[in-house]
This record gives sequence, C-alpha cells and structure tokens, in this order.
Amino acid sequence: MNQLEFAGENTRFLKDVFRKYYFENKNFPYLYSMEKREFGYRKFDSIVVRHLSFKTTGELVAELVRNVPLDVYYSNAYYALPSYPINEKQWEGADLIFDIDIKDLNLPCLHDHTFYICNVCGFVNSEQKLCINCNKGKNNDTSIPCKKCLLAIRKEAIKLLDFLLYDLGVKERYIEIFFSGNAGFHFHVNDPNMRNLDSNSRSNVTDYIIGNGFMSESIGVRRFRNGFTIKLPKSGITTGWRKKVASALGINQKSELKLKHIVEMNGGYEGFRNELNKIAKKNGVPIDAQVTNDIHRVFRLPGSINGKSGLIKAKCNDLESFNPTNDACLLSNSEVEINLKTKLKLNLKNTNFKLESTIEKVPSYVAVYLICKGLATISKSQ
Amino acid sequence: MGSSELAKYPFLQEASEYIQETKFDFEEFDRPEMTHIINRAVDKLENELKGKIYSNLDEYEIEIMTFLVSLLLIKSIGVEEISKKCSLFEAMRVEKFLSTDLSTERSLQKKKLLVQKIFKELFKIDIDVDSTSSICKLSVPDYLQRASKMNEQEWKLINRSVKDGYVYLDTDEAVRLIRNELSNLIYTRIKNMKIYEVPLLIKSKADELRKKYSGRYVYKNQFKILEYPPCIKHAMEIINKGENLPHSARFMLATYLLAIGKSEDDVIEIFKNSPDYNEKITRYQVAHLAGKKGSHIKYSVPSCDRLRSEDLCFAVKECENLVNPIQFGRRKLV
Repeated sequence: MNQLEFAGENTRFLKDVFRKYYFENKNFPYLYSMEKREFGYRKFDSIVVRHLSFKTTGELVAELVRNVPLDVYYSNAYYALPSYPINEKQWEGADLIFDIDIKDLNLPCLHDHTFYICNVCGFVNSEQKLCINCNKGKNNDTSIPCKKCLLAIRKEAIKLLDFLLYDLGVKERYIEIFFSGNAGFHFHVNDPNMRNLDSNSRSNVTDYIIGNGFMSESIGVRRFRNGFTIKLPKSGITTGWRKKVASALGINQKSELKLKHIVEMNGGYEGFRNELNKIAKKNGVPIDAQVTNDIHRVFRLPGSINGKSGLIKAKCNDLESFNPTNDACLLSNSEVEINLKTKLKLNLKNTNFKLESTIEKVPSYVAVYLICKGLATISKSQ
Repeated sequence: MGSSELAKYPFLQEASEYIQETKFDFEEFDRPEMTHIINRAVDKLENELKGKIYSNLDEYEIEIMTFLVSLLLIKSIGVEEISKKCSLFEAMRVEKFLSTDLSTERSLQKKKLLVQKIFKELFKIDIDVDSTSSICKLSVPDYLQRASKMNEQEWKLINRSVKDGYVYLDTDEAVRLIRNELSNLIYTRIKNMKIYEVPLLIKSKADELRKKYSGRYVYKNQFKILEYPPCIKHAMEIINKGENLPHSARFMLATYLLAIGKSEDDVIEIFKNSPDYNEKITRYQVAHLAGKKGSHIKYSVPSCDRLRSEDLCFAVKECENLVNPIQFGRRKLV
C-alpha cells in the first residue's frame, strides 16, 4: 500500500465512498459473542487504533461512520475485558481461523497481472527493482487477480472445506467462509470444542492442512539398516492423510509388494520420502500458518471494506457459485474521473473494463479499486 | 472395580475414600508393623530415582499405603527435580498396568469401567474402546490438547488415523497420551499436600534419600554455543543484507539470541540493519521478549516444529532429532 495514494484528494474521495457504504449498509454478518471481541482499525494515515469494544452492531457502525477507517479488524479471541491492555484482557478462547491467498499458490499467471509501484513517487514499474522514475524508492507489488487465479483459489478453498468437514469433523454450522476482500478466503471456525486449543495444538492442525511432516512410517515404510522395510500399519491406511497418500500411490492394505516396488523406483527410503513430500504438498492447502497459530490475532471484520481493494470481506454461502468480483463489489456506481498510471484490464460487477487512456471516466467502485491498489489517482477536476 | 484392579491405580478417588473410611492416623506410621510399608516406599522411590519403573504389585491395602508414604517421602525430601522425576515414573508405572489391562482384559464392561474411571473422570477425555480390536477412538480436540505436547513426529495429527473428527489409536498409544497428565496429577498432589508433622521414621528416611540423591540434581546449564543453527543464520543473513525480515522470524531471532545469553543491547545492535529499524520500538520489543516489560513473561524460542510450519526452517543434517534451535551446536562446559 502506498501512503502517497492516501493523501489529499484521494483520501477525501475514498472516505466519502467508504462512509456512504458504512452509513447505508447496516447488514453486517452476525458476530458471535461480539461483546467479548477486541475491535480495532487502521486510519488513512496508517495510525492503528486498538482495544475497542462494542456491544451492538449499531455502536460499531456509528464508530465506522464517524471515523471512516481504511481497514477494520476484530479479534478471533474472546476476552472477559476486551478493551483492556493485552495482558489484562483475560483470554477465554479463540475461533480457529484459516487464511488462503492467491499469492501463496505461485501461479504462473501471477507475473502477467502484477504491478510494481514505487513507495516514494508512486510510479508503476514493470519489474521489482529500484524505481526507474525516481531512482530512490523500492517497489511494492500489487496484483489484479485474473479468472484463473480466482478459480485456483476457489479450488483450494473447497479442499480446505473438505479437510474441516470430513477429517477434523467440524460441523457445517460452525464454519463461516468469507472472501477476504482482496485475493483470498478466510475461514472462521467457531466450534466450542476447538475454541480452547492453544497455539501448539493449532500449529498441529495447520501442519495437517498444509501437509507438513508426513512420515513414511505412517504408510508402512521404515528405514532398516541401509535400506528399508515394509509393514503396513495395523490401524490401516484408509483414513486421513494415510488415505490421501495411499490413493496418490495407488495402493491399498494388501499392496505390500507394490509399495516395495514404488519405494525402489524412487531410489529407496530417502527418495521415497522426497516423493511423499511432493504428494503432501499437492494434496495439502497452502494456508498462512501464522494466522491459524495465533490466538490473539486481530482479523479483518466481516462486512468491512478491504483497504487494499475497496472490495468487501463478504460472506460466501456457496463456494461453487460465489463470484468475488461481483458479490464482494458493493460500492457506489456513480461515475468519477481518474488519472490512470498504467494501461490495464479488469472485471468488476460482471463488467469488463479495458482502460487505456491516462484520464478515464469510471464507476466509483472501479476508481476505489484502482486507487487502493496504487494504480490510479482521483482526477483533481472532481 | 475390584480391589486387585484398584491396587494398580492408587491415585483414584476410591483410594482416598479408603483411607478416610479406615480413619488412619499419621502417628500409626511410627508403629513397628508399618516399617515394611515404609521400606517398600523407599525401595520404590530409589528405583524411580535410578530411572527404573517399580513393577512389584502387592495387595490393595499395601499399595495404597505405599503410595501415600511415597508422597510423604517426596514432599519431605523437598527437592523439585526429585518430585518431578518420581511423579513421571509413577505415571509410567500406571501406564504399564493400564495398557496391559486395556489390551488383555476380555470383559468389555471392565475395559469400559477403566476408561470411565481414568480417562473420563480424571482427565475429562471422552474415549471409546472397540470391543474386538481394542482400538481407542477420541475426538480431535482431545487428541490435540495432549499430542501437541509431545515432541516426536509420530504424534503429529498428520501421522494419525483421522476420520470424521476422531483420532484412532491402539491402547498403548492412548495410554501414552495421558502419561504427562498423570505425572502432573501426582506432582500436583505432592505440591498441594499440607503436612504439619511428618512421622519420625518417614522424616529420617527422607533425610537419608535427600542426602543420597539431591546432589545429582544441582542444575547444570553451562553450555557454549559453537555454531548458530541454520534458521538463525538465514535470518541474520537477511538482516545483514538490509532486507525486511517477517515478524515471526524477528521473534525467533530475538528470543534465540536472548536465550543464549546475549544482552538486550547486543540484540538491538543486530536489528539495526533492518530497513524499518526504530530504536525505541525495537528496545521495547526486545525488553518485552526478555520478560522485562509488558506481561513480564520471558518468551521461549519457538520449537523446530513451529518454525517448520511457519517456513522459517532451513534444516541441515545436524538438525536431525532436535526439537528446538537452542539445542543446535552447543557443547557442555565441564
């Protein structure tokens, strides 16, 4: 995010649009135990306000309309005294949170729609090197996700949902899925049985979902002297990760010989372990481990505007049919003029925009999106 | 539960009730016929302090009294490390009995009762034993709360049989899972015991044991770090290049440097190369991690497991079997 973009005219414009949204849109998703959460926000000048507490959505919306923040957060944790300093809040548990982001999928198309913006002069560079315009600033990257990206992240979100429902046994009623408002999905799990898990237990869950630490012994391949030996586990290979790995290898409980052959084909015990790592990486979901492991994190508020894009952190009731660029784009349609820094294409509210001139007239939601991403500024003639 | 079963599990509520019912008085320990019990308790503790599980099993009354005397002896010795070691070996003794009972007991009713008494009543774990296979089934959260304290990779959830919110374990594994809690339960009982007057014979035995064993537990923490672990080296390289280090890596680096004895100023000096360096903020944060500011809790170095999951691990061959970066490249000073 470039501070430059949030100065003067741009800030005034964004604040007007944000305020209008918060004023008109009172339908924030229901927040479980709202009175026990800590709230906070980041202002347009980057100052972060924390340790706030609200008892009702009305109080919260009033604060947002009054102060119009860039980003709004709330805690995954429940506290007895949420507005107190962190060591006096009295932690009473925390939702389990999962965050998946397009940038962690390392998709080949990413480079095609990534822009590098100088943090000193705001110039858009084509590479992540020293700014060619001012020779001073470093470049921050920003991306306009393409259709392929959105399909890929949806596929990962569906995989994550399967892990939660069928492996960890979380009931559907405890899982809420949100589009992050930029380039990913947030899963909130408020299962009372999971709420008291400490950070180490959450890290164990994280590794399960990412696919970290699967041992060859779990599928029956043990190191033996300089080679290996095979003994399939008594408890079977038909559940959890054992099942996923067995299915990728094409083996079942009776396939000892086939498994021996597979290990040999991979060059023995060590080679087989490398193969397992590849299988695990392919079958796991690349969630952000730090987000899930943290039991005191403040997290983007459902229903709030994401300051990186102007899109909403919107609830997603059906992953298959959810269209982020339409369903999370809820800002005003009124037209405004912007100064564009680079030629680009994008799709918002089911409309394709091909922007090529330095000055363009676009709906407010497009203007907000591009200003938040540092790719445009509001025209001074507004 | 029959008295022969209860003899193996003297920490259960029934044992305390037995002592209350018999109106046993501490003064009775000074009577000559109690010498056998006291000697048995001493023998048991000596075994445990030598790292052996005391596997002799006597009848119910003797076991309960021996357990009681053991606790009195440990409390009177008053050495923390001895209390912890004996609690652990007592737990391992129970583990041995319980594991055998659950896998060999033919009566499903008896199995279920054992599970009820120990797993459910004592530790609030809802566990079910299959009548034919003896495979135990417990919920994912119950499993995680215990298994996450184990360092061995095999206890990670990913290496377990998991389905529909349940983890499936054989009886040995299920019992191993509660060893730490059992040990803590016994340790807490010792710690919370309030004795106003220890019987003379027990006191003199405790004095002998303290004299004989306490020397072994003088805390030796004299290590020299010969080489930084690869995760720390990697973080230092990034900082030295003047590049940005993620928050989790800064946390790892600072806690590590503090743990190996670097001063707060030394640590701050290292962070000076960060592109967003701010002395005031860094000083506060380092002091906070050192336990001098804020919550006054000294933060530990994150485990290797945690670093792996946060992509901060760059393991080399020498990292094998380590659970925390602090163990890397250190040599004991003599």
